[in-house]
Amino acid sequence: MRWFGFGFNAFGQIHVRGRATSAASGDVAAEVKVIGPTEVTGHEGSRRLKTCRIKASWSRRASLHLNGDSCVCLAGFGAATSDESCGVSVVVSRGCTDASIGELHLTLVFPDRIESWDLQKKEETPSWSMELEPQSESSGPPLKLPLVPGGYIATKPPFYRSLSPHLKAKSLALGAEHAILLCATGAVYTWGLGSHGQLGHGGLTSEEEPRAVEALCGMTMSSVATGGWHSVCISDGGDLYVWGWNESGQLGLPSRGLRKALQQQSSQQAAGAACQVADSSPGEEVFISIQAFPALLDVAPSCEIRTVSCGSRHTAAVTTTGDLYTWGWGEYGQLGHQTLISSDEPKCVEFFREQQLHVVDVTCGMWNTFAAVIAEEAASS
Amino acid sequence: MKTCSSMATLWSKISDVLPPGEEQFPLQFSDTVESSLVDVLKRSRRQLYGDAASSSSRAIDAQIILDFSWEKLNTGTWRHVDKEWRRVYAYGCLFKVAALCREGPSADNVPQAVRTCDMGLLMGAAIMDNILQVIVGILQGEVRKSSKEEDDKTEQVEVKRLKIECPRAPVIRGELAVPRVKCPSLESFNTNHLLPLKPVILEGIIDHWPALNGHRWSIEYLRSVAGCRTVPVEVGSRYTDEEWSQTLLTVDEFIDRYILNEDGVTGLGYLAQHQLFDQIPELKEDIRLPDYCCLGEEDEDDITVNAWFGPGGTVSPLHHDPQQNFLAQVVGSKYIRLYSPEDTDKLYPHQSQLLHNTSQVEAENPDTERFPDFAAAPYLECVLRPGDVLFIPVRHWHYVRSLELSFSVSFWWS
Repeated sequence: MRWFGFGFNAFGQIHVRGRATSAASGDVAAEVKVIGPTEVTGHEGSRRLKTCRIKASWSRRASLHLNGDSCVCLAGFGAATSDESCGVSVVVSRGCTDASIGELHLTLVFPDRIESWDLQKKEETPSWSMELEPQSESSGPPLKLPLVPGGYIATKPPFYRSLSPHLKAKSLALGAEHAILLCATGAVYTWGLGSHGQLGHGGLTSEEEPRAVEALCGMTMSSVATGGWHSVCISDGGDLYVWGWNESGQLGLPSRGLRKALQQQSSQQAAGAACQVADSSPGEEVFISIQAFPALLDVAPSCEIRTVSCGSRHTAAVTTTGDLYTWGWGEYGQLGHQTLISSDEPKCVEFFREQQLHVVDVTCGMWNTFAAVIAEEAASS
Repeated sequence: MKTCSSMATLWSKISDVLPPGEEQFPLQFSDTVESSLVDVLKRSRRQLYGDAASSSSRAIDAQIILDFSWEKLNTGTWRHVDKEWRRVYAYGCLFKVAALCREGPSADNVPQAVRTCDMGLLMGAAIMDNILQVIVGILQGEVRKSSKEEDDKTEQVEVKRLKIECPRAPVIRGELAVPRVKCPSLESFNTNHLLPLKPVILEGIIDHWPALNGHRWSIEYLRSVAGCRTVPVEVGSRYTDEEWSQTLLTVDEFIDRYILNEDGVTGLGYLAQHQLFDQIPELKEDIRLPDYCCLGEEDEDDITVNAWFGPGGTVSPLHHDPQQNFLAQVVGSKYIRLYSPEDTDKLYPHQSQLLHNTSQVEAENPDTERFPDFAAAPYLECVLRPGDVLFIPVRHWHYVRSLELSFSVSFWWS
């Protein structure tokens, strides 16, 4: 499996930046905003590591190598890298089974414990840790972060938060100010701040405790994801549901703010003078800035969604046929369409089709996107 | 047209108000601000001095700071946003303005820089002795220099267009009229109106305002003083409507679209409840704090002064505020209705936390089926004209509709 990344790269978290100090203007922009998929190298010294999973925060990328001698490698802010290296190997991560990364902490899961390491201080011991009961054979598949037995790990203290066992938590996604939980029953619960409609209960009020998203009752969901202020989930039939803030088109629904910004940009380039934007909307189009109830999004004609991930203001979805679609905020190249333009319509990342690569997974950092691919021949076998 | 040499002068003026060197440029933040972002801030500071960096690099780093802090400003409730993020946002604006003013003679850079300063003033917190306010003053000087010739021509056209509006002012019946009194003493105002919380129109108390004399406020004057400045505008009939929204426009754009209705713009726009006088000091000098505010318990600095500027037809739905209010009318006229807090039970306030201070009833067009008791609620009414100041006692319900182009200034005090 190979990984490709695009979008925000100011800290070299996608690929190492050039050494030239006073780079020509074009170079700096191209380095900070990677507009087309670029392969993420997976070497550590002379060893070629199999990157199973990537997690990304705003300024870093964590590559999880989980086969055999498992470890985590970090790239980006604070990781002095040389060319060809996939990042600095985190010594204390040896033997881990899962990891997640925030701007301040690296969280590592081991068979018998969980640790959170402060990334800003170079310390010998984790800033927080918790012991784990050995997993019995009858328990289901291992929980993925941020879920841990009995609860979850939050991004700021108190780290461990408990969850009621009757929720039967299966997977959890945390946004900037809200959370979305998928239960073993296929039901979806949300809680946190709701002022951008991201809880999906039809209003803007907050919820302190997990509350079922009633609009999805009767349907079985198979995965959930959150952006900064939006929520996404996939039904077991491969349909995608979106709700929350749509200010940059991250819901894939018509966004007035986006159209205005695009109009302004083009009139600025045309006139070269301070813009006077005409207040015309094309026809009777309905714009949505906040979607407070889940809405079914047609990503592409007759396609099933396999997996989805969100950055702070963009969304990336992988179809069962191996295509990657992206939409939302694109000003750092995180949509991967060789531009810096945001979009309120899902568009296929053509690069992978052109290279005959079959996308199998996607994960987003705040302002970038990482896609896992296999060769197309391998996919059809 | 901006020439290379005039941009060079602009940059030297701005350089002069910046600290002389990197070591004198303060960049201190609490632990709230992640060290990765501090890294970018420090790089921006480095690039401010010396010529090594490219204009693209300066612009990109400033944009990173702005985008990151913008997301923080939109996380959680505004009240709870850590002030550090507002400071960071202001620094982002400063670095962006510096990058704009430094390179390229394009005529678009100065208005963009003004807009950036305004975003920093509106959403950021004051940094480095309110340097954004200082810089926007410098930039406005540049804008005024280049637009002097265009002013005179447009003036005539605009004055003509506005004269067509001739409002039919509602007739105020004697027994319902808000009482009027001319220049009362502090003591008599206190005894007769403030302590008993009784509304009154004070006449003659703002006659000395420059806004009504030497610097008489008009469309032309406002354009010349603030035309290029960005302000928040409410769009839609009233804030209780579903279609209501807020947007940011320059004063010129607001006047063009919502006062003069250019480009076929229909619908109302209202520059409402905005502390314009903090943003534009020249306008602050045209008004004065009413003497009667000294009867309150607060410091002068805690008094909130808001501007209310819009075309005829703007409506503030029936609502009440938690402080005493002096509403001073400077330009045009407004129809105002007042209901006592004692009659709140007949006014059907919204249940929600957000709108609990607002009535559900449209005061001039009440739905008598849904709100049967409203007709029985006693009220006072008036037409407020230039020079009038209405005293709205704390928690007193009020409904306001502008009858023509109008500019009011409100003083909220306790």
